[in-house]
Amino acid sequence: MIGWRKSDFLFVAPALLVFCMFFVYPVLSSFYYSMTDWNGLSRSTSFVGFDNYDQLFRDSEVWHALWNTLKFAAAVTILQNCLSLLLAVLVDRAGRIYRMLRVYFLIPTLISALAIGFMWSYIYSPVTGVINMLLESVGLSSLTQDWLGDPKWSMLSVTFTNVWHWAGFSMIIYLAGLQGVPQEMKEAAEIDGAGAWRKFRNITFPLIAPAFTINMILTMIGSLKVFDIIYVMTKGGPGDTTTSIAILLYKKAFNFNQMGYGTAIAVVLFVIIFIFSLIQIAFLRRREVQA
Amino acid sequence: MRNKISMGTLARSGLLLLWSVILIIPLMLLLFGAVKSSSAFMMDPYSWPDKLVLTNFSDAWNQADLARALLNSVLVTGCSILSLAVLGSAGAYPLARRASKLSSILYIFFISGIMLPFQLAMIPLYKLMGGLHLTNTYFGAIMIYVASTLPFVIFLYTGFLKSVPRELEEAATIDGCGPIRTFVSIIFPLLKPVTATVVITNSLNIWNDFLVPLLFLQEKASRTIPMAIFTFVGQYNNNWSLIFASIAISSLPLILLFLLLQKYFIKGIAGGAVKG
Repeated sequence: MIGWRKSDFLFVAPALLVFCMFFVYPVLSSFYYSMTDWNGLSRSTSFVGFDNYDQLFRDSEVWHALWNTLKFAAAVTILQNCLSLLLAVLVDRAGRIYRMLRVYFLIPTLISALAIGFMWSYIYSPVTGVINMLLESVGLSSLTQDWLGDPKWSMLSVTFTNVWHWAGFSMIIYLAGLQGVPQEMKEAAEIDGAGAWRKFRNITFPLIAPAFTINMILTMIGSLKVFDIIYVMTKGGPGDTTTSIAILLYKKAFNFNQMGYGTAIAVVLFVIIFIFSLIQIAFLRRREVQA
Repeated sequence: MRNKISMGTLARSGLLLLWSVILIIPLMLLLFGAVKSSSAFMMDPYSWPDKLVLTNFSDAWNQADLARALLNSVLVTGCSILSLAVLGSAGAYPLARRASKLSSILYIFFISGIMLPFQLAMIPLYKLMGGLHLTNTYFGAIMIYVASTLPFVIFLYTGFLKSVPRELEEAATIDGCGPIRTFVSIIFPLLKPVTATVVITNSLNIWNDFLVPLLFLQEKASRTIPMAIFTFVGQYNNNWSLIFASIAISSLPLILLFLLLQKYFIKGIAGGAVKG
């Protein structure tokens, strides 16, 4: 085994430089700025210790955003994984039609969250929306809603749009897992008289545990950071019913110039993501081993 | 028995049909909106178009300045993924090959970035970019994308490089190849599967990203597509035909590319996730 040569430093240097300058340095600055009253405007910024954090823990806006984010993340993680696993199982067969469906189901993932947010705003609209039109046409006009404007429904509507956007992506990951399950094992189970559900429960599901782990983590982290789709569809409203942590910290920093306070919220977002990732990895990996 | 199978097939087809319909409604709306006159669209947005109005596309193209936005998107996405592939593979090479403490320290330093959300760097980056006069420049946005994605890219390349046998490069060294030539002509070509994953997943993310342009590419000259559409909607928020036409134009390049290269796309997405 050889140690580092001169040329090796040449290989690493560009990556290291860019990474440190445009990521590590700003991340470290965030921890510093979160203890200042930096407002982005005045030249003088003073160190305020843990004042921002102190304020943050008593700020009902922050608690509300935190609660919204956790609700959104939990709903998206569960819905999206159930749906995409079901879709993956359904299209995991030979044949042209199933191949075409796989491609078709992935198309929403290719469109930007921004575009999808606009399309769905139109669909949810109480005037032009297809959901209300359909409900009225079958005589259920009592069920029509202002899907994004009603605080009772806004979060659910945004959640569904997000699942609609990403279900195909998770499906592809589950499919890759499913295609690694040896055919002989399924056949053996069939010969032993296992029904479809038992075959899935006892053979397929344990074997696709790595795909399950990665999908759970990806959807959870992605939805804890949610910004684009909410910013486009509701800007966090009505009221603050759809304000996520990422939306709140954007508003604080760039609409109200509370840059120091904004970074403190970003630090909280980081801590939450970090804790949840560790819990999930520990929990899911253990299940993988048992499987 | 036969009855049971056909029940299963029925349920399968029913569920697949249901999801297909749920997917098609917004996509049809987008397409219909783009090819109907705005009055026809207002009257009945969900019906089959009577006649095709293609002027929506040219109007949206001109009014939203989509030519410029497309060019900006191609440049920013292209340069970012190119830099990611080059810096990522070169950076990962010594980390995977040299068994020393330095390698493990640097590796952990890089991949710990995977845990950090972009939001944690965002606000100080805004100040940094302003100070360096990089706001509204391609270079600034590219550096942000490269720096925040490098941890994952290094992780992918290092993992793959460890499975690449050393014999080839040892032979090359004996033949008198310098380290850079060995890397460029022998190692890098072997990394194709990872490079495909890096290119595919990141072109999706960067092409469609909205947060970085919202903060760092606001000016007309440097706007990428999502930002151009966002501003366009702000200006013309009642003309949905034009809005949908602009969305259709901007989504089409990736969808066409995907239909052409679907096998690689699906493998690339699955590859990035399974190794992650």
